[in-house]
Parts: sequence; structure tokens; C-alpha cells
Amino acid sequence: MSLFGTNTGFGSGGTGVFGNTTTDSHNPMKDVEVTSPPDDSISCLAFSPPTMPGNFLIGGSWANDVRCWEVQDNGQTVPKAQQMHTGPVLDVCWSDDGSKVFTASCDKTAKMWDLNSNQTIQIAQHEGPIRTIHWIKAPNYSCVMTGSWDKTLKFWDTRSPNPMMSLQMPERCYCADVVYPMAVVATAERGLIVYQLENQPSEFRRIESPLKHQHRCVAIFKDKQSKPTGFALGSIEGRVAIHYINPPNPAKDNFTFKCHRSNGTNTATPQDIYAVNAISFHPVHGTLATVGSDGRFSFWDKDARTKLKTSEQLDQPITACCFNNNGNIFAYASSYDWSKGHEYYNPQKKNYIFLRNAAEELKPRNKK
Amino acid sequence: MAECDAEWELCKENIQPLRQGRSVSALHQALCQQQEGNHTALNQQKQAFESELRLYDGDDPLDVWVRYIKWTKQTYPQGGKESNLSVLLERAVTRFTADKKYHNDVRYVELWIEFAEGCSDPMDVYRYMQAQGIGTMQAALYIAWSEEYEKRGNIKMADGVFQDGVKCGAEPVEKLHAFHRALQARACRQMMSSITDQQRDDDEDDDGDEGAAEPQRASLAELKAKGKKKAVVPINRVKASVGYARGLQFKQPLGPRQNSRLVIFDENKASETEPQEPRFEIWTAPPTARAKENEQKPEKWTNVKMPLKSRSGLSVAVPPPKPSFQPFVEEDVQPPAVTPCKINPAVNSVLSSRKPCRPEQTPLKMLQERMQLQTQEDGKSREQSMYCRELLYSGASEFCFEELRAERYRQKHAHRLLSKPEQTHAN
Repeated sequence: MSLFGTNTGFGSGGTGVFGNTTTDSHNPMKDVEVTSPPDDSISCLAFSPPTMPGNFLIGGSWANDVRCWEVQDNGQTVPKAQQMHTGPVLDVCWSDDGSKVFTASCDKTAKMWDLNSNQTIQIAQHEGPIRTIHWIKAPNYSCVMTGSWDKTLKFWDTRSPNPMMSLQMPERCYCADVVYPMAVVATAERGLIVYQLENQPSEFRRIESPLKHQHRCVAIFKDKQSKPTGFALGSIEGRVAIHYINPPNPAKDNFTFKCHRSNGTNTATPQDIYAVNAISFHPVHGTLATVGSDGRFSFWDKDARTKLKTSEQLDQPITACCFNNNGNIFAYASSYDWSKGHEYYNPQKKNYIFLRNAAEELKPRNKK
Repeated sequence: MAECDAEWELCKENIQPLRQGRSVSALHQALCQQQEGNHTALNQQKQAFESELRLYDGDDPLDVWVRYIKWTKQTYPQGGKESNLSVLLERAVTRFTADKKYHNDVRYVELWIEFAEGCSDPMDVYRYMQAQGIGTMQAALYIAWSEEYEKRGNIKMADGVFQDGVKCGAEPVEKLHAFHRALQARACRQMMSSITDQQRDDDEDDDGDEGAAEPQRASLAELKAKGKKKAVVPINRVKASVGYARGLQFKQPLGPRQNSRLVIFDENKASETEPQEPRFEIWTAPPTARAKENEQKPEKWTNVKMPLKSRSGLSVAVPPPKPSFQPFVEEDVQPPAVTPCKINPAVNSVLSSRKPCRPEQTPLKMLQERMQLQTQEDGKSREQSMYCRELLYSGASEFCFEELRAERYRQKHAHRLLSKPEQTHAN
């Protein structure tokens, strides 16, 4: 079942990496390095859906490109194709059948990339950069949902230049997630809106933020029956909130936990607090992974409310992460997230995408 | 343009006056834009300013703030919450408190004065400014400060402020002198008119004439007491309050004050009116402007406890503490008959006394916290955010990392866009 055996020779850095000294902290976890990573910060990662055989990874970056790799069973990554936008790419997603990839960019457009023909076509237009893009597959309709900094959420039938629907948001969209029939959007000024997608998308509820700081990332989780039941929300100050939509006991069921902080036990020096850059749920176990500005990733079991693992510290922030469709592979990207402004940006610094065997480490603590 | 003219007529009461006057064309444009709901252009311009605030790396960051605030005032003539004007003023003002080079920059001082005028107590702000050395070389500070004193009827202090300004050598000197002279002229006129009003009131007691007091010769003779009573009636009697109602609205006449309250120098007692010297040491942080009820930020309800509800559904307020002494009660006095009423008289919930608002506590604490973060006091704060807080929260609204980066990218490539015949942002 697991893709990479523990004795794989690719653990020490994969193919095509030069200058691999033992003191190099760019890959302290000794995970597989994806070949030909983008030339600038990676903003988003997405694995192909189960409807497609094999594992294909899509990554969008601030170099305006979207790249596609095939991840083979032996751990080798093969660059397959690349497409460009005229501005940095902020989000990517797959269609449910795995034939199309949707990309959203700062150039205020979203494109649909047909992988078979390797052609792209513009499918959406906003008045500001498009921050999130998700594919919605409902029984009676299919569409692409785009969230933008122009404070609108638009839904696109890919065949028409006009949106099927446009919903106004109170503020700019900062992050979103979709698991049919639920969608969650977190906006600037700590806004949080849940949408229901049955029949047609409509606003379901506005929730008062469980966090005190700027929202950064959100991910929906499902219950035992695979129905979306809540979401995890990450903020800019090392905290994640677990929030259920209709819990039996909200005060007890909803909670927040601290993460991506340093000097945990040492109370003498101030604790450094880092932003949570992305959250992903394991598709099988329901446990979650968070990646942060501190250059670490952590795995958590939200039901047992425990931490499963924290990685070693990478020398760069981790900006994106995702699981593949069967939960065996965890991909995470190491690049600069702009958390300290442009002064700390080093264009010469290499960016990486790592792949890790996720089958064992994300098993829940108390298996029921 | 015709409908814009009408627009001005319809809402001119709501237009906030600007000290330097409003440009008519800008006003028309702003009102038209608001009428048409042209929010995208406005938002784009606002966004442009916000980005400029964060990406500016020249020598004069104050300039961006000044332009942004000026644009905001012209674009949102009614003021109001969506203009974020008070937020911007507060941020601009606190941003540069540590920057000595701006302390006597006339633009910065004017921002402070505008901020002070929006505060509940501008005096606090002016005193703080003096303590910190902000604007002490600018005539504008002293002019605004004395105006504030004058509004409160304290001509003496108003005069004192001007003298302070002259002493400090505030610039421009001529302006300071001119305003000082104007103040003195006003004070004299006031005294004169209040005295003449006095005179008229004494002479024409039953005269119901509400016309303006005509200038008359001020009588300086004392009123002679009739009869055996030797008490000297002061020249300006309480009737001066009529003059008060006639025209001098909030300017209290000087006369009664000067005569009825003789200031007896007592070396043991502190001065009773406004303190002559500003107290320097308490002002570690400037007081803040906004009225608390407009705040959207979540805050801890510090000392307010929910009163327990009694069975009748009325909330029972905690009764005031009993006095420590035993009030004297005559022996055969009946306890006062309590008029039968449905509401328990001990329950004070119907008209509860107005809780003393503590404007200096929470907003000041908020500002102090912000100042603390800005100065990065290590020992005190147990947590340290590892991201560029100032960049994110610089202007009126927040940015996220991606927005910062996207702005920089956009600027970097803007010159390329301009050279090519491509469509840029609709302005």
C-alpha cells in the first residue's frame, strides 16, 4: 500500500540535487525532493483525484507558472507540463474527473487547463486578484468557484464568459475550501462565511471568528459518514481553531490549539509565534497536517486533541501542503512566504517541494 | 452636473467643514461618486493608497499619510465610519511619535491637531504633545490649544498658551502674534459687552426686549447698598446669565467669575482651576480619539458583571454600600411610609446611574499596547510575532502576506505595462 519503502534511496535528496552537504537544513526530514521545482515561491499544491490512475501533482508559484509532475510508485517525480499566467498563481485545483486543472492568478483571471491537449482557456475574470479556486460537483450542476480580493465570490460555468452567480462578501477573500455541499470562505478583518451548495450556492451562515488574528488558511473536515461537518481555520499567529457547524455542544466541541511556536517550555525568552500557512486533512484518517512560517510541519489528531508529530525545522517557511487521494503521500513546499516583507526575500534561494510517506504517521492516536 | 448641484443642496448639512475650505469640484465629484455608488473606483484608489503606505521606502513616509488623509477628507465629505478618517489619523499620529524629525513638521503637527479635535478631550492631547515636544515650535499648536481654552471660557489660560508659544519661539511668529492679538481683542469685547449687558439688565429689569445689547458706556460705579446692610453687591450680578443666553453661548462672561470667586492664595492648597503647569510625567502614551461605542474590536468585559435576575424578571442591581456612620434618626419618627409601587424601590434598575465611562482606561491601554509593540519591549511581552506586523496593519485596513507581495509585484511590473499599449487599471 505504501508508495515509498523505508529503504528508498531517494530519501537523501532525490535526483538532480547538487551541493548536498550534511549540514544542509533545506531538507532535514530527508524527504523526496520533486525535480524541477518552480523558480519562485510555491503558493499552492494539489494532487490528482482518485478518478485518475496514478498520482499527478500540480504546483502554482509566484513565477507565474503552473507545473505538473507525475509521481511514480518508486518515488521518482517526472515533470510533465507547464503553463503560464501573466501574474503570480495563487491557487490551483482539479476537476473531479482529473482531466482539467483550474488555476487562479493575480492577473485577475482563472484558466482551465486541459491536460490531454495541454491547452488553456480563460474561464473567469474578476476585478482583483483571484485568491481561491475550487471545483464544485453537485448532482444538478458543476462549476468553478473563485474567491477574489475584489470582495466577490463568483461561480463559473466554464463555457460562458459571464458568471453563473456572483455573491458579495464583506471583505476580501483570504482562503476557502469546498467539500460538497459545504463551502467555507475566510475573509479579511476576520470574516468567516459558510455557504451551502445544494441546488445553488447560497450563503448559509456568517460565523464570528474563533480566532483573534488574521485568517490565513481553512480546510473542511468530514465526519465518519464522509459528510462535511466542520472546518479547521488557521491564523497568522500560530493558532488553529476547530469549528463544527452544528455540534451538540459547541462550547465543548469547538476548540483552538496553539501551533508553530518556538520556545515552548522555555519561559524566560519570549515565544516566537509564526503564521500557519496551510492546513490539509488526511483523506482516510481524518487527521490533519499544518505547515507554518517557522519551516515546520505538524500532524494532529483533532478528535484525540493531540499532536502526532512535528518535523524538524527547515531553513525556509513551508508555504503549501496537500495529501494525495489515498493519503499515502504528503507533499509540502519550502519557499519564502513573505511573512517578513520584501527585505527577507532572496530571489537566489532555491524553492523545494518534498514528498513524504504519510501512511503511518497520520494514523489517529486512539483507533476506534 | 445638474444632479450633482442638487446633491450638494440636499446634503450640505452633512458635509464636514474643513479648515482650509473645500474644493468645489472635488466636492461635486465626491458626491456624484457616492450617489452613483461608484465604489470600485473609490476602492481602487483606496487600495492604491494602502499599498503605497506599505511599499514606500523613500525618505518622507509622512507624505503618503498626508496625501491619503487629504484624499479621504475630500472623498468622504460627510466623514463617517466608512471613510476610516479617525482610524487613519490615529495611526498616522502614533506611527511617527518616536520620529524626532517630524516632531516640528507642520504637516505632522496639523495631523495631531486634527486628531485632538476628534478626541473627547483635546486638552489631554495638547498637553501630551507639549510633554513630548511635538509641535512646540509650531504656532499651529498654540493657536489650536488656546482656541480650546477659549471655547471653555478660560481666557486666562488661553492667553497663557500664547505666551508659552512666544517664549518657545514658535514659528511663524507673526501668525502667533496676530492670533494672540485677536484673542485679546475678543476678550476685551466680551468683557465690555458683558458689562454693558449687566448695566442694561440692572436698568431695564422688566424690559423683555431680546434685542442685541447696544454698546453703552460701562459704568464703573459701585452699587451702593441701601439700608444698614453693609454688604457690597458685586457689580456683575447673577443677572449676567441673561447676557449669557442672549448671545454669548458658551463663552461665559468674565465678569462674574472674576468678582464672585476671589482667588485667595493659599500656599497649602493646590490651584483649583486648570492646572497651570502641564503634568509631564503621566503621559506615556497619547489619549485616543474614538468613542468606545463605535469600536468593533472584541474586548474583554473587564469589570462589568451581569446582575442576577430575580424571580420577577427584574435584574437586581447591587445596592449601594451602607454609609459607615449611623444616620441620626429621631426617636419617635415613623419610618417613612413607602408609597405602594409595583417595582421594588430597592431595585434600581429602571434608571441606573450612568456608569462613569472610562475613556482613559481601555482606549489608552489599547494605544499603550500598540506603542509597546512598536517599541518591542522584550522583557515585558512573552510572545513575539514573527511577521511584519507594521506592514500588514499599516493603513486603515489590513493586508495579508500575499497582498503585500502582489502589490510589490504589480509596482515592479507597472512600468512595463505602461510602456506597452495594454489596459491598465480603470481609474
